[in-house]
Amino acid sequence: MAEAFLVAKDLHKSFNDHKAVDGVSFAIGKNEIFGLLGPNGAGKTTTIRILSTVLEPDVGEVTIGGFSTGQQSDKVRSIIGVCPQELALYEELTALDNLTFFGRLVGMNGKETKAQAMANLALMGLEQRAKGKVSKYSGGMKRRVNLAIALMGHPKLLFLDEPTVGIDPQSRNKIFETIQDLRKNGMTVLYTTHYMEEADRLCDRVAIMDGGKIIAMDTPHALKSQLGDPEKITLEDVFLKLTGRLLRD
Amino acid sequence: MRRALIIALREVKTYLQDKGDLAFSLLLPVVTFALIYFAFGGQGLFHGTAYIVNEDTNGVYAKQLVEDIEAEENLDIELLPLADAERKLEHSDINMVFLIPADFSDKLRTGQPVELTFMQRGNGGQEGQIVASIIRGIVSELNQDFQVRGQVEQALAGKDVSPQRITTTTWQFLERERIYPLVGVKEVAVGSEPNMVNEFLPGIITMYVLFAISLGAAAIVEERRIGTLERLLTTRLTVGELFFGKFLASVSRGFIQTFILLALSYAVFQIFTPLSFLTCLLIAFVFAMAGSAIGLVIASVARTQDTATWVGVTVTLSMTMLGGTFFTIQKDTFLYYLSKISVNTYANDALKIIISDRGTITDVWLEIVIIAGVCIVGLMVSRLLFKALPQGK
Repeated sequence: MAEAFLVAKDLHKSFNDHKAVDGVSFAIGKNEIFGLLGPNGAGKTTTIRILSTVLEPDVGEVTIGGFSTGQQSDKVRSIIGVCPQELALYEELTALDNLTFFGRLVGMNGKETKAQAMANLALMGLEQRAKGKVSKYSGGMKRRVNLAIALMGHPKLLFLDEPTVGIDPQSRNKIFETIQDLRKNGMTVLYTTHYMEEADRLCDRVAIMDGGKIIAMDTPHALKSQLGDPEKITLEDVFLKLTGRLLRD
Repeated sequence: MRRALIIALREVKTYLQDKGDLAFSLLLPVVTFALIYFAFGGQGLFHGTAYIVNEDTNGVYAKQLVEDIEAEENLDIELLPLADAERKLEHSDINMVFLIPADFSDKLRTGQPVELTFMQRGNGGQEGQIVASIIRGIVSELNQDFQVRGQVEQALAGKDVSPQRITTTTWQFLERERIYPLVGVKEVAVGSEPNMVNEFLPGIITMYVLFAISLGAAAIVEERRIGTLERLLTTRLTVGELFFGKFLASVSRGFIQTFILLALSYAVFQIFTPLSFLTCLLIAFVFAMAGSAIGLVIASVARTQDTATWVGVTVTLSMTMLGGTFFTIQKDTFLYYLSKISVNTYANDALKIIISDRGTITDVWLEIVIIAGVCIVGLMVSRLLFKALPQGK
């Protein structure tokens, strides 16, 4: 792993009696795509919320780019971008308005915001529909706008929480290509997904969470090797072996 | 502060762009006002219906009594068979019926006492009571006529005056007395007549501002559900700025709505001077702040959009009723004291003082201070409860 850009140490977070995150520690290297995998309720989203300064951990600390999320949250927020699992968009606004609105909130000025908004929409193949209301977009287009917003302000670290849920193969492919391009340009990415083949294809390393804990962490190849021939074993086999076949809520 | 303004500006822009939202907040108040204006406007005097059961169908005096009631310009009459009247009373279709018994004329002719009856549900209702009061006046006159005639007949008994002449002369005398009474009553109008615009406009404006603000609160709950509030907190926006931005947005929206409605009233009804218009805008601004603070309390405690909507609508309607939007609350009644807990009361009172009584800001300072106080308390409570995430910041 290259020089660590994100370091999470012994994170704990409980809601009432439920331990959502229970002693999670890991580091993500600069320019790395790190996958955070786990069944529903494993604690992935809570972990991302802690890392992105939305939630404070009960115990533990996080540094991103050398800044503490506890004491220097404003500086942390200036170098991160978050693409949440939900389509957190203002549907009554145009895609361009959505991007410029969030751009202003990450500290960009008006002119700069508009230029980057158009560039991001072009990156997502949406420049022709920039001035269309988001409510008229397809699910795949909304997912791409969701990601385009996360890229406003030139973040150094991007949190992608299941960015490809429920979209068509073309939109999914576009998002993959974009993530790979971003990495080529020096961005660090934390990626959560339920699609194991996505993690296998994109991620340099993955951590598998269950019950609020990290139960395995390595490269996809190394994890598959633990079960047998990595050419025949899939990451999904590893995932099911580690987390079991019981249905989760 | 700059980021809070960005939040507020986005919402104002959305409000102004959304035709449905604009229609709701501007067109509906105008339509409601127009309906009330045309339903009640111009009816300065009471007008009601007297429901009469006349069982003395062939009686001269019963006929005369019905004609006298019909001659009252404030009354229409509707003659009903007894069975119909009883059924309508039973179903609350009507609340009071005036019953003339079958032996009414015969008894009067022979100088025997006779009883008329008001059949009523409960207290007969407001209209019924007024109708009964008018009929009592007519019956009282009839009673006096017969008493005078009896006295005159008694005084002239045994003298050479025919009964026909006594009757004719007595009626002529009484008729002249009715036209030129010894003791007269006159009505003097003081001030302008009750104005429906002045009466209803303030309440309707404040009601719709409260509706808009409480529905805005529901939108905040929805934003929390779909994750946009959480996403805002991953930018450089703080929870305090988010809260203040939402407050500013709500105030702006409420104020813009009030401004447009007051300006329309200014142009259409010409009820303002420039100074009274500005004073009303100030009241509207402070009221929009108080309403927004209440909206944020709702947004802070409601867990779902539906809950927020229902709580908002319930609060708005309760405040509208307590604030005397659709009826005047009598002083020193239980409702009067209850109305004092509703901020709407103070806003409506202040606007009425400025619009109807030609008051100035010095006449409404207490109302403004109370509304501002509600705003401050509401903001403190909502800030304590406000969270962008159900279990987070």
